[in-house]
Amino acid sequence: MIELQQLRKEFRLSHAGSFKTALLWWRKKRIERFEVLRGIDLKIEKGECVALVGRNGAGKSTLLSLLSRIYKPTAGKIIVGGKIAPLLELGAGFHPDLSGIENILFNGVILGLTRQQVQERMDAIIEFSELRHHVDAPVRSYSSGMLARLGFAIAVHVDAEILIVDEVLAVGDFAFEEKCYRRIEEFKNEGGTILFVSHEVDDIRRIADRCVWLKNGLVKMDGPVPEVIAAYQDDPEANESL
Amino acid sequence: MRHELAELWQARELLFTLVERELRIRYKNSILGFLWSLLNPLLTVAVMWFVFKFYMANETPNFSAYILAAYLPYMFFQQAVLDSAQSVLQALPIVKKVYFPREILPLAAVCSSFVHFVLALGVFFVFLLVIYLSDPRVSPFSWNMLLLPIPLILSFFLAAGTGLLISALNTFFEDVKYIVQVILQLLLFICPVMYFSEQVLAASSKHGHWMYIAYHANPVAMLCTAFRKILVAPQDPVVGGKSLPWLSLDWGLLGLTALMSFGVFVGGYAYFNKVKWRFVERP
Repeated sequence: MIELQQLRKEFRLSHAGSFKTALLWWRKKRIERFEVLRGIDLKIEKGECVALVGRNGAGKSTLLSLLSRIYKPTAGKIIVGGKIAPLLELGAGFHPDLSGIENILFNGVILGLTRQQVQERMDAIIEFSELRHHVDAPVRSYSSGMLARLGFAIAVHVDAEILIVDEVLAVGDFAFEEKCYRRIEEFKNEGGTILFVSHEVDDIRRIADRCVWLKNGLVKMDGPVPEVIAAYQDDPEANESL
Repeated sequence: MRHELAELWQARELLFTLVERELRIRYKNSILGFLWSLLNPLLTVAVMWFVFKFYMANETPNFSAYILAAYLPYMFFQQAVLDSAQSVLQALPIVKKVYFPREILPLAAVCSSFVHFVLALGVFFVFLLVIYLSDPRVSPFSWNMLLLPIPLILSFFLAAGTGLLISALNTFFEDVKYIVQVILQLLLFICPVMYFSEQVLAASSKHGHWMYIAYHANPVAMLCTAFRKILVAPQDPVVGGKSLPWLSLDWGLLGLTALMSFGVFVGGYAYFNKVKWRFVERP
């Protein structure tokens, strides 16, 4: 269960990039305020799969980051019931010189498992990623598809109740993509909640139960997938990003 | 801070895993592995020993052991601070994606340097044994060695506090790293590594005792002195044909260092916690 109440997030764009400018301009603080989320109210029930759509800069990724506790909200409230696992982008957090197994251990622990739990699931993760023959090699020798497979395999094995996906599904080959979708279906059937950002209308139609359209930091429309997608595609400003 | 410490305790497995990972990465691609980290201090000490023994007329028995005993803690401090300075910045891609207590990053850098330090101290005892066997007239061993945990703990907290502070500052202003590099380099000269604190006292007698106190108000200098007094058996330093009376460990000054080390840790951690939410929002 996720509940957002009047959630606001403001970034301060400071132009003091270096020490020198900070020293020179410490009196005149040149700070621009930039409001990304301007009061979001949203409730997602357990077991729902919600797609977020919107133009670049509408605040989709900021919203997901707030949920994963990367940012602190400027105002408003976030209530999250359950463990969250973000699906990492292409090997974020992988170290190129370490082997697949060593990276699985580190990523699993960073996503909240104990070392013991990672060791217990190691086989299942390797099995899912279909990288049995490569797990002893350093990940710098992996292709981007292999990295994505490993990342996905870890994320679905951390026992999260809420999975957060930020435009990372369309990476593996067709067969692996199918496998990911099947795993996501399974995850939904087990009562897992999914929140994902995508620009692929086909993906959204396929897995989402509900669609939320963000526009300029506000929820523009919230409802069943076909209607929201249709409205979003009809929006004259939205066409270029779809 | 209590809340943060509780959270840190819960994430201890992550800290442990990260330390293990750093140790692996550091020596992954080199054949000699851990030996490299020993080569640096041993070579440095050999050069210092040669220069100071022959050009500066330092004839103290076991002089090389005294240099190494002070150089190892200095090197730990230097490495811990430089590694942690970069730690948050390097991990920014993952920091932007997953939540975990951010202080784990600089702390892991300090802990892995600390592991090296402890391993190097192990080698130090072998070094003492070699010195002793080559010249059994002056034994470098003493019961003082049992006090070793005291300066070890103090130097850990001092390095951890400094590392937390520097890593937070360096995330916003990357110039900090360069400033720190210069300061660390200068630090070597104002720490009793190549000379003795007895020589500092002798030099201070002309100007006033406050100079000796001020010198040891630098916690790194005091820790170098403490490691030296604890790790090597007392010998009167002999410099330029003149023998200086050996000073025993000054517990008052070490107490001051203890206060400063814990103060730096609390202050550094508090500052880190205050700004850690802004790491991901840096311009």
